[in-house]
Parts: sequence; C-alpha cells; structure tokens
Amino acid sequence: MKKEDTVKLISAEGFEFVVDKEAAMVSQTIHNMLTSPGSFAERQHGEVTFPEISTTILEKICQYFYWHLQFASGKETEFPIEPELTLELMMAANYLHT
Amino acid sequence: MGGICSRKRDQQVLDDDLHTGFSGRYCRSCSTKWSRARSLRSKANHCPGRGTCPSLMDLCINKIREDFHKYNSFSILPRDISQQIFNELVDSHCLTEASLEAFRDCALQDIDLGEYVGVHDGWMDVISSQGLSLLSVDVSGSQVTDNGLRLLKDCSNLQALALNYCDQFSEYGLKYISGLSNLTSLSIRKSSTVKPDGMRAFSNLFNLEKLDLERCSEIHGGFVHLKGLKNLESLNIGCCKCVTDSDMKSISELINLKELQISNSSITDIGITYLRGLEKLTTLNVEGCNITAACFESIHALASLACLNLNRCGLSDDGFEKISGLRSLKRLSLAFNRITDACLVHLKGLTNLEYLNLDSCRIGDDGLSNLTGLTLLKSLVLSDTEIGNSGLRYVSGLNKLEDLNLSFTTVTNHGLERLSGLTHLKSLNLDARQITDTGLANLTSLSGLISLDLFGARISDSGTTYLRSFKNLQSLEICGGGLTDAGIKNIREIVSLTQLNLSQNCNLTDKTLELISGMTALRSLNVSNSRITNEGLRYLKPLKNLRTLTLESCKVTASEIKKLQSTDLPNLISFRPE
Repeated sequence: MKKEDTVKLISAEGFEFVVDKEAAMVSQTIHNMLTSPGSFAERQHGEVTFPEISTTILEKICQYFYWHLQFASGKETEFPIEPELTLELMMAANYLHT
Repeated sequence: MGGICSRKRDQQVLDDDLHTGFSGRYCRSCSTKWSRARSLRSKANHCPGRGTCPSLMDLCINKIREDFHKYNSFSILPRDISQQIFNELVDSHCLTEASLEAFRDCALQDIDLGEYVGVHDGWMDVISSQGLSLLSVDVSGSQVTDNGLRLLKDCSNLQALALNYCDQFSEYGLKYISGLSNLTSLSIRKSSTVKPDGMRAFSNLFNLEKLDLERCSEIHGGFVHLKGLKNLESLNIGCCKCVTDSDMKSISELINLKELQISNSSITDIGITYLRGLEKLTTLNVEGCNITAACFESIHALASLACLNLNRCGLSDDGFEKISGLRSLKRLSLAFNRITDACLVHLKGLTNLEYLNLDSCRIGDDGLSNLTGLTLLKSLVLSDTEIGNSGLRYVSGLNKLEDLNLSFTTVTNHGLERLSGLTHLKSLNLDARQITDTGLANLTSLSGLISLDLFGARISDSGTTYLRSFKNLQSLEICGGGLTDAGIKNIREIVSLTQLNLSQNCNLTDKTLELISGMTALRSLNVSNSRITNEGLRYLKPLKNLRTLTLESCKVTASEIKKLQSTDLPNLISFRPE
C-alpha cells in the first residue's frame, strides 16, 4: 500500500488506524478535509485526529467504510451494530456525515 | 446530514387539496384509495438493484427500531438525531407509551403524533418535558383531556398545535391554550367543544396566522373574539354548517386574511358581500355554498384572488363575465355546476390559469376552443363531461399540461393520438370503458408519466406491452377485468411503481404475486376480486415497503396476512380483509 493512497485516522486515545483513502472518503467530512483547496494540515500530512471519537467507535467506523465499499460493488451483506455502541456511533456518524 | 437538520416549519397543503377544501395532512376522511405517505424521508436502503448504500446513520436508526427496548434514554444525543429517531419510530408505528419514555428531556422540536394510535394523557408528560424546545405538537385523533393540555402550558415556545378530532377535552382545556401566545398555527377540527364563548381563549393569540376550525359544529357567533388577531392570514371554517352570513361580518375585520375556506357552510350571497374589503385575499373556497351569480359582484372586487373554488354551488352561466376580470386567477374550480360552453367564453382571458376543474359540467367540444389561449395550464379536469375526440384538438396545444383527467368522457382510442405531443404529462386519467389496448398504443410517447389510471379501461395482456414506455411510472390502475397472469409479466418490469391496483381482474392467480415479488418499491397493492389464495401470500415477503395491501373477495384470510405482517412486512399498516 503506497503511503499517498492511505490516510491515518487517530482516535481520542491516540490509537491510529491506517485505512485506504478511498474508504475514508466514504465520510463526507473526511472527504472535504482531504480534498478542499488550501492547505488543511490533514491534507498535507494525510492524518486526521478525532479528539471526540473513542477507539472502539473509530474502529467500527473504519469497518463501516470498508463495508460501504463492498456494498457499492454489489456485495450486500448486513452490517452488525452492537446496541451498546449505537448511540455513540450515531454521534460520530453525524459528525462524519456518513 | 442535510435531511436530518432540515425542519419543516409550514404544514404544506397539497395544491390539489384546494378544490376539496381539506388539507391532506390532518384529514381523517380524505380519500382512502391510497394510504397517506407519512414518511417523506427517502429510504436509500430500500432502493432495488444497484441502489445507494445505506448511510451509517440510517443503519443505526434501523437498529434502534429493531431493538427499541434496549434503549432507556436518548437525552445524551444531539437534538437533531433524537428527533430523527423519534420521527422514524412514529413513521414505522413502533412508538409506544413505554418506549416514548426514552425521549424524555430530549429537547425535541416536533412531536407529530397526528392520528397515531393510542395517544392519551399519559403521553403528554414526556411530550411536555421537551419544554421550551418544543415548537410543534400534533396529537390529532388522540384521547387527550384537559389534564393533558394543562401540561403544555409550560411549553411557551409552541408555534403549532393540532388537536383535530379530539373529543375528550373541554372548554377548560382551551383556556390552557390561550396562554400559548407564540402560537402561529392552531388546528382544532371537528370539535364540538369549541363554542362561541370558548373562542374567547383565542383572542390572546396575537401571533396566530393560521386557524383551522373545519367541521366544528357550534362556533356560530364566536368570531367576534378573533377581532384582534391582526396577523391571521388563513382561516378554515369549511363544513361548519353553523356558520352563517352574520359571522362573515366579524370575519370581514380580519383584513390580513389571505386564505378563507368557507365551503359547505350556510353562507349565502349576503355573507359574501362582507368580503369585499379583504384586499389581500388570494384563496377563497365557497364550494357547496348556496350562492348565486349575484355574489360575483363582490368576488369581482377581490383583485388579488389567485385561487377560487366554486364547485357544487349550483351555478349556471349567468354572471360569469364578472369572473373574467379576475386576471390573477391561477386556480379555478367550477366542478358540478350547471355551466355550459357559454360560460367558458368568459374564461378566455384568464391567461394565468394553471388549474381548471370542469368535472361534471355541461360542457362540450366546442366550449374547449375557448381554452386554447390558456397556455400556462398544468392541470385540467374534464371528467364526466360530453368532451369527445374533437375537443382534444384544443387540448393538444396546451403543452404545459402535467395532469389531465378524461375519465368518463366520450374520448375514444383514436382521439388519444392527439395527446401524443403533451410530453410534460405526469398524470393521466383514462378511466373509461371504451379505451382499450389500441388507445394505449397511442400514448407511448408520454414517457414522463408518473401516474396512469386505466381503472375501467379494457386493457388486455397484449396491451400491457405498451406500459414499458413509461419508465417513471409510480402509480398504475388497470381494473377492467381483462388481465391474466401473462400480462403481469410486462407490468413487473416497471420497477418504479409504488402503487399498483389490479383489482377486478378475476383471472389473476397466485402466479401474479410470484411475478411481482421483485417490485420492492411497492407501497400499496390491490388485487381484490381475484383468485389469489393464502398460498400466494408468501411471495409478498420481499415487498418490505408495502404499507397497504388489499385482497378483498379473494381466498385470503386476515389471520394469514397478519402472520405475514409480523414476520416479514414491518411497514404494513393497513390491509384488507382485516
């Protein structure tokens, strides 16, 4: 995986997730950060920090990104969501516009 | 995310409601032909085929709907998210008094529980806990009493309140409303509690812009209390038989009125004369009132009038030269009057007309020649008239037409050729026995059709091949009796259909249900009077969006449909047999 094709997502606790840019851009918010003109630090360094999103939730979000890509390519499986994560996940989804 | 944040402030009344005088939203008795579409939010996850992927937000909301009992409170969520969950649970009929508790103190803005089953005082506590955030409440059709209304007292930011068809509260309840001075919209339809004295409670609602008291039976004499409501723009007292000419005198002081519905009241020409000073009036509905041409003099003075409904007033051609001066008119309803071609001459100059309803009038082909200059017409209703093929000559040039009703006219297959250039048509009603497959063949250029009504037309299996031209069709009715399972093979190709009525085709069997099992966009299905049996019901399992299912006079039992509803069709809210 070439470095420019990936992006590093960092959780509130400092845990780093390296994911394909294509996957991360499922989030409209991340998409905007990485593509807007100007010099967003996120764009330059290829990493985004989410001080409000816990590691567990960010992991789930990353899983969703890849699930989304699979779905779009025709593989329609179910995406599992644990009830205890739902509310936090919603707040993150709201922020990430996804 | 835009969808979540967007808030519908105004209860939008569908254009077409104008000529009936009832708004679709709060109406209990409006046409039940199709179920009311409650959820306007498009569901990306139900798109058939290569649809858009469900957002994570949608997935979470679905999850919550499924395991609702696992959530005790949503108050940690931002308001817009809890509002979305609330709306979703209401739309899917999953909300109960117990589960409502999770929404306590969520700062919700809108509580739309109109016509929701089981709402009573016990719900009002959580509703009022939204406090100053609460902007609109609709508990129409509920069992709410004075005690419940008292709780709303502290929700002083409330802007819209609907208590239609609530018969459990008294005049005391109305007094609690009188303190809600931020109300801009108040709707209390079909209530016998609202009496002249009780209407004093409205006199403090200085911000009121919209008051709806349709079907209230005892409001005669109470309008004196509305005098101070200078912001009132819309008043609906349709179907209030108690309202008489003397009431119009008080109403004439509401000089900012833009919309007045007085259909089916006891108002006569004398009452209409009081309206002359309402210079801002743009909408006037006097359908079903006992008026004559004498009142046209007063109506003529209302220069801003854009919508005028004179349906069922027993009018003849007399006096219509006065109407010809209303150049601002965009919508004119003249249905069920004794008017003839002689009246249509006076419509010639109404070149701003976009909607014209001549249903069941005594008009013929020659009269339509007066309409050729009305080039802005989008909607034309000619049903139940003597219009025939030669009249369509004049219609064929109205190329902005989107909605045309030719049901029960004498138009034949051959005449339909004249419609082929009306490519903006979205809705076409050809409910008439003489229309057959040949006629349908003449319509294939109308690829923009969204709704096609061939209810009584004699369409056979071979005619259904022409339906494939209508790629955008959402609503289709073919009930002439000529279809067999073979014809359904073509119909199932129209995957955009959300409403399908195939009733009265008594040769259809379970095979039909098997064939349409891929039409997952369907929200409403009617295959009554057919040979469908309980056996066939299993084919409906993939139709997850189905809200209404009608299988009357079939070998189908209510208990089997109920079973299907509980296992596979979560959105099914109305079915027959029941």
